[in-house]
Amino acid sequence: MTFREKVLKGKFVITAEVAPPRGTDWKPVVEPLKPLKGKVDAFNVTDCQRSMVRMAPLPMAKLLKDSGYDPILQLTCRDRNRIALQSELLGAYALGVENVCLMTGDFTTLGDQPDAKPVFDLDSVQLIELASQLNSGKLLNGKELKGKVNFFIGAVYNPFAGPEILQAWKLEKKIKAGARFIQTQPIYDVKLAEEVSSFIYSLGAVPIIGLLPIKSLKMANFMKKLNPTSVPDSLVKGLETAKDPASYGWEFVLNIARACLEFSGGIHFMLVGKVRELADFIDYLKKHRDYSVKF
Amino acid sequence: MVTVKLKPLEEIVDSLSGFEKIFIVGCQLGSARCRNGGLREAYRVAGYLELKGFKVVGVKSPGGTCVLDRLDYSARSLLNEIKETADVVLSLACGAGTQLIAENVPIPVKTGVTTLFIGAEREGRYFEEYCIACGDCVISDTGGICPVARCPKSLVNGPCGGAIAGKCEVDPNLPCIWFKIAQRMEQIGELEKLRKRVPPKDYSLSVYPRKLVLEE
Repeated sequence: MTFREKVLKGKFVITAEVAPPRGTDWKPVVEPLKPLKGKVDAFNVTDCQRSMVRMAPLPMAKLLKDSGYDPILQLTCRDRNRIALQSELLGAYALGVENVCLMTGDFTTLGDQPDAKPVFDLDSVQLIELASQLNSGKLLNGKELKGKVNFFIGAVYNPFAGPEILQAWKLEKKIKAGARFIQTQPIYDVKLAEEVSSFIYSLGAVPIIGLLPIKSLKMANFMKKLNPTSVPDSLVKGLETAKDPASYGWEFVLNIARACLEFSGGIHFMLVGKVRELADFIDYLKKHRDYSVKF
Repeated sequence: MVTVKLKPLEEIVDSLSGFEKIFIVGCQLGSARCRNGGLREAYRVAGYLELKGFKVVGVKSPGGTCVLDRLDYSARSLLNEIKETADVVLSLACGAGTQLIAENVPIPVKTGVTTLFIGAEREGRYFEEYCIACGDCVISDTGGICPVARCPKSLVNGPCGGAIAGKCEVDPNLPCIWFKIAQRMEQIGELEKLRKRVPPKDYSLSVYPRKLVLEE
C-alpha cells in the first residue's frame, strides 16, 4: 500500500525526513535508508531547510522514488513565485511524485545565504489552494491543464506557535484548502500529542506527530531556544542524569511514538540518525500484538 | 514619512573626490524629521567637507525636495542657483528628491543618504517601517495594522509556525505582528474576520515604476 492509500484507509503511517545533499552526491543520502525500505511509508524531502542551499527537492524526490521509496515533496513559498510553484508541481506529478507537503518556509536571512531575495508571493494556505486548484484540472488563472494531476496534499502545524487562535484558524484554513494530512513540529509530551491529534482529526485531516530524538543536553537546549515550551523539564532532567543521553533521548521519543499509536494517524521522524534502531523499532511495533492491527 | 539614513561621512567624501564647488541640498520632509538629512545635517556635513578642503558654495533646503515647484519657482529657483555656483550637488533628500534634482541640473548629483522606508515616528527617536506601498491595501481587514509590511514574509492568512512566545522567527527583537493584530481585532470586536481565507495578493499592482495622475 502507498502512503496515500494507507492514510486514506486510516492505517497508521510512519514518515521520516530526508535532506537533499549540499552538492550532487545523492547516493550517500539514499543508501543509508535501506534498512527502512518497506518500513517507513514515505520520506519527506525538504526544500532547502533552514534556508541553506541544497539540491532541489524535486530531483531528490524522483531519485528516492527510483530507488524504491515513496517521497513526500516539500515545497515552500520562500524561493518561488506562483508561476514557479505551479510549474514545479506539474513537473513533480509528471515524474510520479504525488505526495506534497506545502508550507511557507523559513525566512531567507536565517540561513547561509542571507543576501538572497525572499519571495513569499503566496503563503502556505494559498499554496495549498493552488495545489487543490491543479487537482481540479485548472491553473491558478483558471486555464485548463493538459493532463490531469491528483496530488495528495499535506501541510504542517506547530502547536507551540501563537497566537493560539490564529494558529488554529490557519490550520483550519489549510485543511479547508485541501490538506489531507498534517505533520507537526516535534512534540515531547504525550498529552499534547493526543490533544493535537484530536484537534487535527476534528478539522478533517489526519495527524502525523513530529518526533525528533534528542541526542544530548546541548541539543535539548538548542531546541528550547527555538521553541521554549516544547521541551519538557522531565526530558531535560533525564538527559542531565542519563549515563547515555543519546539513548535516553531516543527511548523518550519511542515512548511517545508508542503512545501515538493509540490516538494518532501516524508519526514523523524528523531525523533519521539511528536507521538500524528505527527499523528495529518499526518491526517491533508491527509485530506487537497490541499495535500490529494499526498498520 | 520616508526615512533616510546619512551615509558615513568618509563615504560621502569619497563620492565627491575630484569636485571643488559643492552645493548641499537637504530636505525638510522625511530627511529632516528623522534627523538624517534636513538642513541641520546639511550644515553639519558642510562643516566636515570644508575641513576636508572642499568649497561648499551653498546649503539649502527647498522644503520638500521631491516637489518640482519647490525646487524651481520663478522668484527664487534653487536649480538656477545650483547651476550658477556649483560643479556638484550633494543631496540629503530621499531617493525621489535626489532624482528630481538630478533630472533638472546639468552637473553630477551625489546622494549623501540611503532611503530606508515609509515609517512612523515615536518620541522623535524611533522610526519603524509601517508601509511598503504594495498598492493593494489590506489594513481595513487587519485592525489597521499591516501584515504585508510588518511581517517579513508578508503573510496575510495568519502567523507562520515561527511565531514563538510572541516573537518573530526572523529577529528575536521583533514582536510577531500577528499578536498585535489579534489583540486589536479582539478589541474592536472583529477577531472572527481573521478566520476567513485571504486570496493571493495582486502583485501586478506594485510593479514599479508606478504613476498617479490627477484628473484636470
